[in-house]
Amino acid sequence: MHPFLASRGRLGTYLLGWVPIALLLAGIARSQGWSWLEAVSLALPLCLLAAILFLGTWFLCRALPLGRTAEGLGTQGAVWSTAALLMGGLWAGLAWLLARLLAWVPGLGGLPQRVHVALPVLTGLGILLYLASVALSYLMLAQARALEAERKGAELQLLAQESELKALRAQLNPHFLFNSLNSLSALTAVDPARAREMCVLLSEFLRRSLGLGERRLVALREELDLARAYLAIEQIRFGARLRLDLSLDPATEGALLPTLLLQPLVENAIKHGIAALAEGGTLRLATELVEGHVILRVENPTDPDAPAPQGLGLGLRQVRQRLLGRFGSRARFEAATQDGVHRVTLVFPLETEP
Amino acid sequence: MTILKALIIDDEDLARLVVRQHLEAHPDVAVAAECANGFEALKAVAQHQPDLIFLDIQMPKLDGFEVLELLESEGKRPAVIFVTAYDQHALRAFEAHAVDYLLKPFSRERFDAALAKARLLVAAQPAVPPPPAAELAAAARQGRPLERVVVKDGPKVTVIHLDRLDWVQAQDDYVLLRTEGKNILKQQTLASLEAQLDPARFIRIHRSYLLNLDRLVRVEQDTKEHRDAVLRDGTRLPVSRAGYQRLRELWEDA
Repeated sequence: MHPFLASRGRLGTYLLGWVPIALLLAGIARSQGWSWLEAVSLALPLCLLAAILFLGTWFLCRALPLGRTAEGLGTQGAVWSTAALLMGGLWAGLAWLLARLLAWVPGLGGLPQRVHVALPVLTGLGILLYLASVALSYLMLAQARALEAERKGAELQLLAQESELKALRAQLNPHFLFNSLNSLSALTAVDPARAREMCVLLSEFLRRSLGLGERRLVALREELDLARAYLAIEQIRFGARLRLDLSLDPATEGALLPTLLLQPLVENAIKHGIAALAEGGTLRLATELVEGHVILRVENPTDPDAPAPQGLGLGLRQVRQRLLGRFGSRARFEAATQDGVHRVTLVFPLETEP
Repeated sequence: MTILKALIIDDEDLARLVVRQHLEAHPDVAVAAECANGFEALKAVAQHQPDLIFLDIQMPKLDGFEVLELLESEGKRPAVIFVTAYDQHALRAFEAHAVDYLLKPFSRERFDAALAKARLLVAAQPAVPPPPAAELAAAARQGRPLERVVVKDGPKVTVIHLDRLDWVQAQDDYVLLRTEGKNILKQQTLASLEAQLDPARFIRIHRSYLLNLDRLVRVEQDTKEHRDAVLRDGTRLPVSRAGYQRLRELWEDA
């Protein structure tokens, strides 16, 4: 579809653009001794005809994109010269026909004679106007292409963000996996029953996290189940160093939240808290419902000799971004270290599955 | 048959157990002690003088590289087999420096091969000395700057996080580290320490001084040729012409 025909506004602008050309044409005719009536009666319909006729150049331009090679340019030059000559001639012919028709109107009887004299000038003008419309068409095509490229770029960026998120959700912590397998390798010899238990826990954790990775929103219950499976494995790895204190409000279990929001918090608590402490410590996980909002807390002791982290790590930044992305100003994210305890708090409105 | 004395250093009980299980098939290796963190490891090395250590990298208090660096600074360098779960950068560093390592979980064959190599190493001094731990750690960090400095003075180990380090002064083969009102000496050259630090954070303001930029309040010009850096706590350190130039470049970039 031609862009000018696609919208009424644009078509109007295009036609208005022809008005000064018609006036110019009439002015030239006046200077040649035509009467005002003769000049305007011919120029206005003639320009309207040109406006309609030259709409076709856009399609031709689209079919013949500007070549980059000299050879291509040469071919196009030939095509456009021929087309311009033809259109210029056609336009002059139409002027002649129009003059013949208008001669019936009283006062315009002399028009055919005047047009006959002006035919070469009209042909020249037609050629120039046609070439101008070619230039305009190419300009519009280039602009449309630029806009399209920009739109595609934005689309790609969005896609990349989406896939990044997907990768993040599907990401399994390889350090955790290999260390767990190593523990399993030790248990097979000394405690086969415990080894089997660990196999089951690992499978459950893997199945759950793979299943969750495909969804955008999950109930808190499922996030907690995943965290439990994960922590049960870590308890085998760390033994007495990892102590758990879970205080969960059943009223919050149905709350919907972005997928795998809790897991990075729990993994961080182990990696930067328990695993970094020789004597280990207690990981606290608590949920409660306060005035229609879920409060979710993860706490872990930190090494007092380690400096307080500067800003949020990548994992926590993403958790915050995704939480606020889902709930906006109705949610809150806090992370702070105080008195040797690192605490992350998420507050978000209780929304359950319908 | 010479008996090899070995230490197993890993913070996870089960991970130490795997190594011990594999060693049961090798009666010529005696496990002198097991250590659950870097401090215990340093003590056990001093006590048992092992020939061989199995060393985990990620551990509380001191990581495997830091343990090795401190052992080196005391002139002790047993044969090392690194045992680690997943760290591509560390692996690349080990490969590049021909250091022996085991990837958790590992097979009996892989374990036996690593042990056989270590035995040869203990039996004969290798033609090529092992790479310094600091160099290995730097390669494993992949260009990321150091985050903390470890110093051992007799039985005392100090871990200095870089945001607690005010400035460093060169003293021949030693560096004097100024942290929280104390001076701590470490055997290292200023240039080698400087190379490991974040150049946007620690600036060589003088031939003999590295300054934590965060501590700087202003630079005062005393005489035409002499400038002083004034720190938050009022300390004044000399700034050389080249040092002043470096500071200005940083300010212009900022």
